[in-house]
Amino acid sequence: MKYWRETLAVAQRILIELFRRRRSLIFWSVFPIALLLLNGFIFAERAQQSMAFAFENATPTTLAFENAAPTTLVGAALFFSCLGGTVTTVVAEREQQTLKRLFISPLSGTSYFLGIFVAHCCIGVGQSFLVYAIASFWKAKFQGSLLLGAIIILLSIISYVGVGFVLGTQLARRADDINALVATFGVPLLILGGAFIPSFIFPQFLLNLATFDPIYHMTEALLGVSANGNGLTEISFHFWFLFGFAILMIGAGWLSYRRMLRVERRL
Amino acid sequence: MLLIENINKSYGKRQVLQNLNLQINFGEIYGLLGPNGAGKTTTINIICNLLKADSGNIKINNQPVSEKTKSIIGVAPQENLLYQGLSCKENLDFFAQIYGLRRKVRQLQVDNCLAAVNLLDRANSTVETLSGGMKRRLNIAVALVHQPKLVILDEPTTGLDIEARYEIWELIRKLRHQGITILLTTHLLDEAERLCQKIGILKNGQIVAEGTLPELQKLIPAKEIVTVQTAEEEKAIARAIELGFIHRHYGNELAFWLPESLELKEIIAAFDGISLASISRQPIKLEHIYLEVTKQGTGD
Ligand SMILES: Nc1ncnc2c1ncn2[C@@H]1O[C@H](COP(=O)(O)OP(=O)(O)OP(=O)(O)O)[C@@H](O)[C@H]1O
Ligand SMILES: [Mg+2]
Repeated sequence: MKYWRETLAVAQRILIELFRRRRSLIFWSVFPIALLLLNGFIFAERAQQSMAFAFENATPTTLAFENAAPTTLVGAALFFSCLGGTVTTVVAEREQQTLKRLFISPLSGTSYFLGIFVAHCCIGVGQSFLVYAIASFWKAKFQGSLLLGAIIILLSIISYVGVGFVLGTQLARRADDINALVATFGVPLLILGGAFIPSFIFPQFLLNLATFDPIYHMTEALLGVSANGNGLTEISFHFWFLFGFAILMIGAGWLSYRRMLRVERRL
Repeated sequence: MLLIENINKSYGKRQVLQNLNLQINFGEIYGLLGPNGAGKTTTINIICNLLKADSGNIKINNQPVSEKTKSIIGVAPQENLLYQGLSCKENLDFFAQIYGLRRKVRQLQVDNCLAAVNLLDRANSTVETLSGGMKRRLNIAVALVHQPKLVILDEPTTGLDIEARYEIWELIRKLRHQGITILLTTHLLDEAERLCQKIGILKNGQIVAEGTLPELQKLIPAKEIVTVQTAEEEKAIARAIELGFIHRHYGNELAFWLPESLELKEIIAAFDGISLASISRQPIKLEHIYLEVTKQGTGD
């Protein structure tokens, strides 16, 4: 009960601030829409040429959007909202020093982490609806199990929030650091993860490398379920990798919170 | 209400608190004074369970300090720690939630606190748009929202104009009347003199003087203090020594402690033959006591 209440309070606070600032909210909706449209039309062009996707009652555009939606969502949109958003939240809290006020209060670290997670979950879920709603204009459908898809999206959000928490508490000290971090590590990982360029055109050695990139597993898992109607058995490698990574990130987030407490816990 | 016994704390090799003892009784305003680096903030950190003392005991409301005692305490830190993007109301509501207040009580408390610090008309303004004084008041309101029994105010009026200061003093007195115990740190001796029932002066991690103002005044063996401006300081000091007056320099003023209250003409007569540009008399103030006890050991 205590945890639940605290979690809600933290999540609510983050969302209120976000809705008030609006700017990041607009970015986080414009970005996935733009990316989805670009990816969709690029895929559609390729699909038409190769005719590799010539199924009975699906047009190439529909297929293209069915393929673009999951990679855009889980690879790119959630990366910036959940990872970027978490780093921003934590760094802003350290910059304003409101974190100190939280240390004085009985708020537990678990609730704090959960609160950040819940807030970004709301944003992530919003983005999921947005992406699939737009994809549905071209009659794209979610082919596989919705539950499995939801679990994959959730695991992705956990992973991103966890990484964001680690970066925000350990590496980024000021808001300026965030851009540098994202550009240096984020963008290459996104490309390697298949968020912008579909992984089936990757050379083999990049594919081998990609197996170490969690984003690759997120996109592959969701792509399998969403576009190809795969079940858990077909995507099990990607799914369990993602699952393991999410658990790892919860642990890492918890450790880095502890460390931050040790270093910064004083007025 | 608060009992600190023989606390020691070191940062590495530097000992910051040495056998610190401090007792604050229920319902009093305790003023903790001391030069920069004396250990005031460190003491507050230990009371809030943010730092662990190396040895010693602390009890709040008869309970040893722990995560549980955190909700008995309300702290208004030295800086204003507020969410800039939230309104006054939302800031208060958030912290009230963190402290576990239920919705009904919370709404009531948020309004009470806004009223107490005179911010009801700005309830929905975001913190960014508030003036410095308003932020300061909101910073105090956040410390009160969960109805703590002990409130710690770390330099509450620093950086405020005199009117805002009066408002905060009024608020602090109001809190005391509601039965809240207050620990106040300040560099404004005048503030401590006005508000505090008991004053402790901290130096190098030890309380070097403690008591009510009249008790502290006994530390200076004088009835009143006379300050003079003169070009012939040495002559004036020599005369004072003849007369048995103790002399001190307060900044660039020369002052004498009068063991007995004298008539003005008697004082002037005492310095007969020395040219004085001005002469003024004043009662013994906290300032004099503070300077006396904090300079010991460092020499004048
Ligand atoms: N994290 C720290 N590591 C090492 N030394 C510290 C640390 N924090 C404080 N100190 C030292 O402890 C001593 C007491 O500091 P403290 O902040 O308690 O003083 P203060 O009385 O609050 O001073 P001020 O009036 O300037 O706020 C100082 O000498 C300071 O340098
Ligand atoms: Mg201090």
